Amino acid sequence: MAVNKQNVKIHVSHLKKNFGNLEVLKDVSADICEGEVVVVLGPSGSGKSTFLRCLNRLEEITGGEVVVDGYDLTDKKTDINKVRENVGMVFQHFNLFNNLNVMGNMTLAPTELKKATKAEAKENALRLLNRVGLADKADAYPAQLSGGQKQRVAIARALAMNPDIMLFDEPTSALDPEMVGEVLQVMKQLAAEGMTMVVVTHEIGFAREVASRVIFMEGGYIVEEGTPDEVINHPKQPRTIDFLSKVL
Amino acid sequence: MIQILTTYGGLLLAAMGQTLLLALCGLFFACILGLIFGLLSVVKNRACNIISIIFVDAIRGVPMIVLAFYIYLGIPALVNSALGFNGFTLTALQAGTVCLALNCGAYMAEIIRAGIESVDKGQMEAARSLGLPYWRAMVRVVLPQAIRTMIPSIINQFIITLKDTSILSVIGFPELVNTAKNVVANSFKVFEVWTIVAIMYLIVITALSVLAKKVERRLNRGRE
Amino acid sequence: MKKLFALGMAAMMALSLAACGGAGSSSAASTTDPASSEAATAETSGTAASGKKWVIATDTVFKPFEYTDASGNFVGIDVDIVAAIAEDQGFEYELKSLGWDGAIAACQSGQADGMIAGASITDERKESGWMFSDGYYTATQTMTVAENSDITGFEDLAGKTVAIKIGTQGAAYAESLKDEYGFQTQSFEDSPTMYQAVLGGQCVACFEDTPIMQASIKDGGLALKVLENTANEGGDYGFAIFSENSQELLDMFNAGLANIKANGTYDQILAKYLG
Repeated sequence: MAVNKQNVKIHVSHLKKNFGNLEVLKDVSADICEGEVVVVLGPSGSGKSTFLRCLNRLEEITGGEVVVDGYDLTDKKTDINKVRENVGMVFQHFNLFNNLNVMGNMTLAPTELKKATKAEAKENALRLLNRVGLADKADAYPAQLSGGQKQRVAIARALAMNPDIMLFDEPTSALDPEMVGEVLQVMKQLAAEGMTMVVVTHEIGFAREVASRVIFMEGGYIVEEGTPDEVINHPKQPRTIDFLSKVL
Repeated sequence: MIQILTTYGGLLLAAMGQTLLLALCGLFFACILGLIFGLLSVVKNRACNIISIIFVDAIRGVPMIVLAFYIYLGIPALVNSALGFNGFTLTALQAGTVCLALNCGAYMAEIIRAGIESVDKGQMEAARSLGLPYWRAMVRVVLPQAIRTMIPSIINQFIITLKDTSILSVIGFPELVNTAKNVVANSFKVFEVWTIVAIMYLIVITALSVLAKKVERRLNRGRE
Repeated sequence: MKKLFALGMAAMMALSLAACGGAGSSSAASTTDPASSEAATAETSGTAASGKKWVIATDTVFKPFEYTDASGNFVGIDVDIVAAIAEDQGFEYELKSLGWDGAIAACQSGQADGMIAGASITDERKESGWMFSDGYYTATQTMTVAENSDITGFEDLAGKTVAIKIGTQGAAYAESLKDEYGFQTQSFEDSPTMYQAVLGGQCVACFEDTPIMQASIKDGGLALKVLENTANEGGDYGFAIFSENSQELLDMFNAGLANIKANGTYDQILAKYLG
């Protein structure tokens, strides 16, 4: 992985995160470059979701350094909202705004943050909905959608801000098996278009097929990283081997 | 009964008007106070949380009748002696409004806090992750959902507050109970007068409940 | 209609009486056990005077007619007058301190045989079916203002608010004047709050029985002054009954009242409370 330093979108060094006395992230360092699709694997409790949530400061950072798009997230003066506008996030439980219909979900942030006029935002939203195959659901409320549809809307909602980076926090874990495919399909398409993505997931198949790099975490550390072939097919660390033997 | 109605009906109706006026004034400011202190209790700021807790506990810990005497008679005396004013007073309506606003406001703050906390925190996170500032996420995403779950409790609190206006009879505000006591004293007809008063409260409160149910249904339409 | 009320309300009254049986009914001079016997005695009303225990209702605080003194005894002009008359007439009674509304309700529902609570004898009350004894106390009512007030008479009240106490003759007096002199009234439930409203400036004046006002100013050291020139002709307080079954009690009250007035007991009682 020859990476040009100028293309580093996310720089993490010696990241620490404590919840009270519990050390969830002990010492995590990683650089993620433009266009990379990084899949983070690991058993539950390994700190992988917390790691992801530190990248847009949904979790306050206890120690270390996180630089996203040139913004130092540990600097109190950094306008975190500006950073977040450029970093989309997709959640395990979708978190669509229940009080708004699909169109409302998609246009709220762009119009509130003056990224677009109402008309522009709507047009853009329709384009994105088309792309995720849900143009006919613009007027539906979240409660009227299936899990897979919700997650596709959630991805489209994040894309509506036109971000450079997308973070996925177990996007398929809460879905019925038959709906996983439609969501992964959208993510694959996004990866193919060159989006910088960090994906926390249990979908080994997706990692193998789409990831440019796989990070395996356990106990608050990165245990092993490399290409999908290196980490998934030829793991070196006993804990990675152990984990993969359980999920494959 | 008929005789009471013909003699005192107008007076009792006017008193009901005063009751509603007082309740509306009180509720208006209670909503503002409730929103302020409810929000203070959910923001991530220890000092704000403590201020809210003190307000809510202090008001809930004092019976409203005591609060009424204190505000109507005590506060002006305190203000006059502390600030060297002379002759500053509160009218019974002003004191009553403050009293209801504080009392109802404390309970509203709790309702609003509980309502906000009942909204899945993923909603706030999703809004923040899109770059929305905290308060805009609160106003556009969290509060609209919180209000829907709060509505039954708020209606309930409104009705309690409407009934609580009767406590302000002790500071001489001419609301329904105060007026009814006068009518009883004049006519010596206890049961007839209180029956009429009970029916009047019942009609107004039932009407409010029905209206509130309609509003609630309207707000919920198309969402579930 | 009236019957229906009496029935329903009697049930409610029974509950509330039972509830205040413990703390509220400071039974005075007279004897024996409280609440339990009263249902029985109420049903036997109308029988011979001897042996019947009359239930007489009164207010909780209407100083100096009834109130609880510093040592916790329930005392007052009404309390002593009833005691003196009962002794003179030889009847048994139980005094129940139910509050003003409670006392009225108790008589209306038959839970009490009569009430003595500084109640003024008025035509409106008589028309409502109440029967009053001869007046046992005559008082004038006057206006009282703050010590430093500029108000000297009714003419100064235009546009102002005046404090009155619900159910008093003072209240009736103020109501009779308010249209003529263009002032408003604000009705309080108890005297201390009414006085405080004048002291605090929320109201410019209050109307009260002259001797009571004077006694209160003296006892409480209140910065108030009675405007003597504002007194009315005065009115009588009477012992009141609602049911004809209590006629016998009313008769005994009148007879006893005449006797204690004649033998000086009455004057002693007034002197004791009004100095």
